[in-house]
Amino acid sequence: MTRRLLWLVPGGFFGLLFAWPLVTILAKGFGQAWVHDLFDSRTSNVIWFTIWQALASTVICLILGIPGAYLLYRKRFYGQRVIRALITIPFMLPTIVVATAFTVFQDRNTNAVILIIIAHVFINYSLAVRTIGSNWAILDKSIDEAAALGGAGRLRIAWSISLPQLRGSIISAGATIFMYCAASYGIILVLGGGNVHTLETDIANTAIGLLDLPRTAALALIQTAISITAFAISERGSRRATNFDDVADDPTKERVDARDWPVVALTATIVFGLLVVPMWDIFGRAFSDLNNFTLLTSKGTRDVLNISVIEALLNSFRNLLISTAIALVIGTLIAWLLVHTKLGRYKSIIDVILLLPLGISTVVLGFGYLITFTPSSIPLREYWVVVPLIQSVLAVPLVTRIVYPSIASLGRVQIESASTEGATGWQIWRYVEAPQIRHTLVTAAAFAGLVSIGEFGAASLLAFGDQATLPTVLYSLISRPGGTNYGMAMAVSVILILFTFLVVWVVSSGTPRRRRRIRNARA
Amino acid sequence: MKRIPKIAYLLVAALALTGCAPASNNTVVIATHDSFVISDKLKSAFEEETGLTLEVIKAGDAGALTNKLVLTKDDPIADAYYGVDNTFIGALRENGVGEPGTTKVIDYADVCFNYDADWFARHELAAPVSWQDLTLPAYAGLTVVENPLSSSTGFAFLITTIAKYGESGWKQYWKDLKANGLKVASGWEAAYYTDFSGSAGKGDYPIVLSYSSSPADEENTVALLDGCFRQREYAGVLKGAKNSSGAQKLVDWMQSKVFQDSLATAMYVYPVDKTAFIPETWVTKAPRAKSTLGNELNIDAGRSAWLKQWSDLFD
Repeated sequence: MTRRLLWLVPGGFFGLLFAWPLVTILAKGFGQAWVHDLFDSRTSNVIWFTIWQALASTVICLILGIPGAYLLYRKRFYGQRVIRALITIPFMLPTIVVATAFTVFQDRNTNAVILIIIAHVFINYSLAVRTIGSNWAILDKSIDEAAALGGAGRLRIAWSISLPQLRGSIISAGATIFMYCAASYGIILVLGGGNVHTLETDIANTAIGLLDLPRTAALALIQTAISITAFAISERGSRRATNFDDVADDPTKERVDARDWPVVALTATIVFGLLVVPMWDIFGRAFSDLNNFTLLTSKGTRDVLNISVIEALLNSFRNLLISTAIALVIGTLIAWLLVHTKLGRYKSIIDVILLLPLGISTVVLGFGYLITFTPSSIPLREYWVVVPLIQSVLAVPLVTRIVYPSIASLGRVQIESASTEGATGWQIWRYVEAPQIRHTLVTAAAFAGLVSIGEFGAASLLAFGDQATLPTVLYSLISRPGGTNYGMAMAVSVILILFTFLVVWVVSSGTPRRRRRIRNARA
Repeated sequence: MKRIPKIAYLLVAALALTGCAPASNNTVVIATHDSFVISDKLKSAFEEETGLTLEVIKAGDAGALTNKLVLTKDDPIADAYYGVDNTFIGALRENGVGEPGTTKVIDYADVCFNYDADWFARHELAAPVSWQDLTLPAYAGLTVVENPLSSSTGFAFLITTIAKYGESGWKQYWKDLKANGLKVASGWEAAYYTDFSGSAGKGDYPIVLSYSSSPADEENTVALLDGCFRQREYAGVLKGAKNSSGAQKLVDWMQSKVFQDSLATAMYVYPVDKTAFIPETWVTKAPRAKSTLGNELNIDAGRSAWLKQWSDLFD
């Protein structure tokens, strides 16, 4: 019974920091002419563009990702794991850094929309490779072998044997990529140069630029509906829970051979041309003048920033510590309660509630905070802690999704015997469960940290004055590129890229390897 | 019990990093647009004179500044504001954001097109004489303006076109501009410093929507001085300010000679005080506009409809 009462903690957390501001903003729209707004020409253009650019990005990701999944997961070659870890970096980079990387290709002849789609592919390529690949790795090989003996070529095997079996994971990957691309904000803002509008940028513009609350609410509703639909499709497609750990390699996998050359060539071109070059370019530009780094103690040319970049770095670091701590505690508590309390039909309701923060526009949520937490209710907006709080709301579902499978898969025997010996829930967690899932907790903390350090939409609305974060100063610098600002933007990007490398390294170096496990078993 | 204390240490360290001291009543906070510049010398002059500490919050361009002030009016982000211009001041008034009677004009600037005279000499092309010329085929693909949705400079030009051609005609002019290869940049900084060929950015476009005073700082650029928009910038005290007496002192000080004297060189605007300092070179290189348009329009009433119609043309 007391365990059930614990649900009040995450319940109160989401009620106060998620549901309340969200309902406040959406309620502003209802009862007014918002339905009319849904059907005007501008809104339908924006919806149409949002959907087609996301679809185009998704299709390209899948077409390029399937050969990559084959090569990096179905086949075996030296250095495979390193490449797998490497290609996840673009996905984990703050989107504003990705946008900055692609500004170098901007000139009067490049089409902003094409650049946006390329940036989306850059970010989501690894998602396609990983989702499809981790399923491909565990497909039964004997059917392939039989077909090969029967004279079928590899392309034919892939097309008529493997792909139909991978249908679920392809749909799941596609829907997830679609969701991210439809909710993209920083990329559209920077690369679109204010002339390309998706729902997300239009929400920000309608709210802050035009102060049109009914239309903001209408757009927010559509955006949320699109995200949730995509998310539901992706969940249906994958029976496996989202897994951020690398898959254990099957040592009997076939080596890459000469007949795989088209796949090797394609994937090498993508990994090098699409992933390595843009990041390399940022390093080149940042280090072309070391002053770019020493200038980080300044506020930029013409003082475009309110605070120096170093101060913004400290803000971001402080926000990261606080939001990660909160997200880890609440997210893990939810995962633990999901395993240890009987929920019955409420479980599906909790599942949906947990999906919402992943699908909701951060701009909408930030805007909700802006108009909800005023002195007449809780004057939270006034304090800097509002930014780490909103970031923790965004990170909690991620933490739960990472931690839940680990807790659920722990052996029951130990827990039950501890329980009969009279251990409390806290003792079971502290002495039996937590030590066994330490790596998962580190992974969850790392991802929560990435959410915090890269979050841009909400911070751009809520981090006033001296509370600017790294992504918001990066945006200020890149949108005012005169003088030394451009070089400083490159230096900030380098810092964020290195931080992401660090996180990926922490997460992937702790992944238990099959070989190591075998060796331990022998010893 | 090891894990929890570690996190606690980190939290304490994080709190210490920020120096959680509440702002004392000796601080006065001013919210401004991003182009606000105040020299350290001037800032300490103010602080010495009044015994206050001045804190500046840049809140985006004039439009974003205005709307953030409106959105946070119950719990203002600052004590005073500066940089809300005559295209937006009505929104502040309507929403009761400012303390009545404290709104003061501080300076003004004329939104005019600039062209890169060197570029036109190099290409042996006659420079445009007025902005109406920009739809001519000779100037195809040469002009960059700011987006009226996100930039007050861009919006000022939109108003000029409406004043010139009327509600019925302005859309055709913009359609012609678009057909003539007009580039729309998100803000003034991007247009002027990235796209314009006559500035340090050495961009691709020799004609830019900027200010009559911009050529003062360039080697060889010229402003088209007819049919400009006169942007007046206001300062005032915010309702509900934590330090309204300090805010009033600040607004008064911004009208004083010492601050007015600094405006031209610091922000390329004309001080409202006619006796205040203006660099000599401005007489030839950065004169005021010869004629202005659009001040007679009811901007507050028209804004959202105009912006919507404009974005229907351009998106």
